[in-house]
Amino acid sequence: MTLHDAVEKYVENGDTLAIGGFTTNRKPYATVSEILRQGKKDFIVYAGPGGGEVDMLIGEGRVAAYINCYTANSGYTNVSRRFRAAIEQGKLTYEDYSQDVLMLMLHASSLGLPFLPVRLMQGSGLMKFWGISEEKRKTMPKIEDLKCAEIDNPMVPGQKVVAVPVPKIDTAIIHVQQASPDGTCIICGDEFHDVDIAVAARKTIVTCEEIVSDEYIRRDPSKTRIFGECVQAVVKAPYGAWPAQCYDYYDDDDAGLKEYDKASKYQDAEDAVKQLEKAAAKAAKALEKAPEDEKLKLAAENAQKAFELARSGEKVPETFKDYVEKWVYSCADQSALLDKIGGSRLMRLKNEPHLGYSTTH
Amino acid sequence: MSDYTKYTKQEMQAYAIAKNIKENQIVIVGTGLPLIGASLAKRAVCPSCHPIVESGLMDCDPVEVPRSVGDNRFMAHCAVQWPNIRFVGFEANEWLHDEDRLVAFIGGAQIDPYGNVNSTCIFGKGDYLQPTTRFTGSGGANGIATYCNTIIMMQHQKRRFMDHVDYITSCGWMDGPGGRERAGLPGNRGPQMVVTDLGIMKFDEETKRMYLAYYYPFSSPEMVQENTGFEIDVSRAELMEGPSPEIIRLIREEIDPGQAFIKVPKDK
Repeated sequence: MTLHDAVEKYVENGDTLAIGGFTTNRKPYATVSEILRQGKKDFIVYAGPGGGEVDMLIGEGRVAAYINCYTANSGYTNVSRRFRAAIEQGKLTYEDYSQDVLMLMLHASSLGLPFLPVRLMQGSGLMKFWGISEEKRKTMPKIEDLKCAEIDNPMVPGQKVVAVPVPKIDTAIIHVQQASPDGTCIICGDEFHDVDIAVAARKTIVTCEEIVSDEYIRRDPSKTRIFGECVQAVVKAPYGAWPAQCYDYYDDDDAGLKEYDKASKYQDAEDAVKQLEKAAAKAAKALEKAPEDEKLKLAAENAQKAFELARSGEKVPETFKDYVEKWVYSCADQSALLDKIGGSRLMRLKNEPHLGYSTTH
Repeated sequence: MSDYTKYTKQEMQAYAIAKNIKENQIVIVGTGLPLIGASLAKRAVCPSCHPIVESGLMDCDPVEVPRSVGDNRFMAHCAVQWPNIRFVGFEANEWLHDEDRLVAFIGGAQIDPYGNVNSTCIFGKGDYLQPTTRFTGSGGANGIATYCNTIIMMQHQKRRFMDHVDYITSCGWMDGPGGRERAGLPGNRGPQMVVTDLGIMKFDEETKRMYLAYYYPFSSPEMVQENTGFEIDVSRAELMEGPSPEIIRLIREEIDPGQAFIKVPKDK
């Protein structure tokens, strides 16, 4: 099956999506890119600790509600920028849980539990503030009516615990190192929440670095982590986690993550002009306070120049829209993406076996 | 040639972290300064400690500085690769078994006198739903602050040290003595100290309020009060000596040679 067909068949508008991987490690970028290309939308998204993959879905307006615990390309972008902008502009419906609670919720989904009691979040803003109110929740059929509720522990009288909902996941998307045609998966390194969501979801799409035969994958069953009957689609997508890492295979792409960091500052050209105008005004104001300062003078001149060049259209910095056009929409599929990244660049990302990462990424 | 007798504020902070890690402790670190501090502890100050990260990687000993807690650099050089839920269970069970082996480093954007930390958002002119500045969210910090003793890493600025934080992401001593118990949190866990670029704050055993315990060779109690947005007791403050040249050499040449987290000042 091709990734195009898998996404067409198994990802529906309005689905509750669960995305595997951890910030910049084993994130299923190939499938997220295909979802973007097919124009699918209105998702309720659980990404565990999210990164650029969920940031792109938010920036492209495909997210009806984001259930967040942490969103950053750690080490490159401290707070994912489209996520941040969407919240600061009041454009994103979202909920905050702690990472512990969110991961336990996904695990509870895999166990089929009716609800989950925890002793976490007590006393904190995570209980006090609700991103999605009870009234609004009642209008969203795929979101439970309550974010959380303090209840008495029936086993220990007097003890207060926090009940949280167990998400019903429609589609899980994960990227693994090896899979076989019958859906059996090998995950090398930390599995994160990927096994949990593969079990919990009605539909699971797996992309993998390599497809091996059903016989071969059974040679060492201590390495297999996902039962094939939990998986609806297996698709070979080499470098399917790019620009994120994939343990035993490749490192993150320093240049790619830096490019995304810079580009995602601006939603589009109009936003870039607006922000550069603000920056120029700020630099001019700083100079007013210390007109003799040479450094401030140079900074103000440069900021003004950058704004004017962007306004006239002569030199607009790369924006988020440019990035997704370049690395998602203009690539028909993963193969086209790899051609665009280029062979030597991909080779530099390969993990060095004695280290487990690349020293040339 | 680098001059190892001179050090930066950040290097002092990393050294302060390392000095506060004890024999055989299990240390929960994130990336950034705490990791540099823990690496320094592991190599020079306290080699018996066990660094772990919230993604579930246990007893990490990375060769190159990792940039995220899920980085291949942690994953390839650790004892066990657990999924995050096992890490959560481990920290909870350490408390249930009344073990006192864990210490955790967390960071934040705002802190109040009782060590309650905000790393979610600054309301500014808005509110939680549409704040002026939004951050990542809790990550593992809320659970860590629930079950573990913590050391909080902050930049020492007036706008960050305030009477009331907008949003409590990670609970400290809440509103003072008995506050954690009233909130349903373990009362025998909580913030132990705050390490900043100006000094080390601890919490009074009676009142649970922050006080200045140590200042650095380049800071002073007056500087700390000036940069703190609430009244802070500085009467008990002592001077903490700076790191030796060998410690600075280790940080620059072996632990973070790529200057991923600690920038070395250029020789003039």
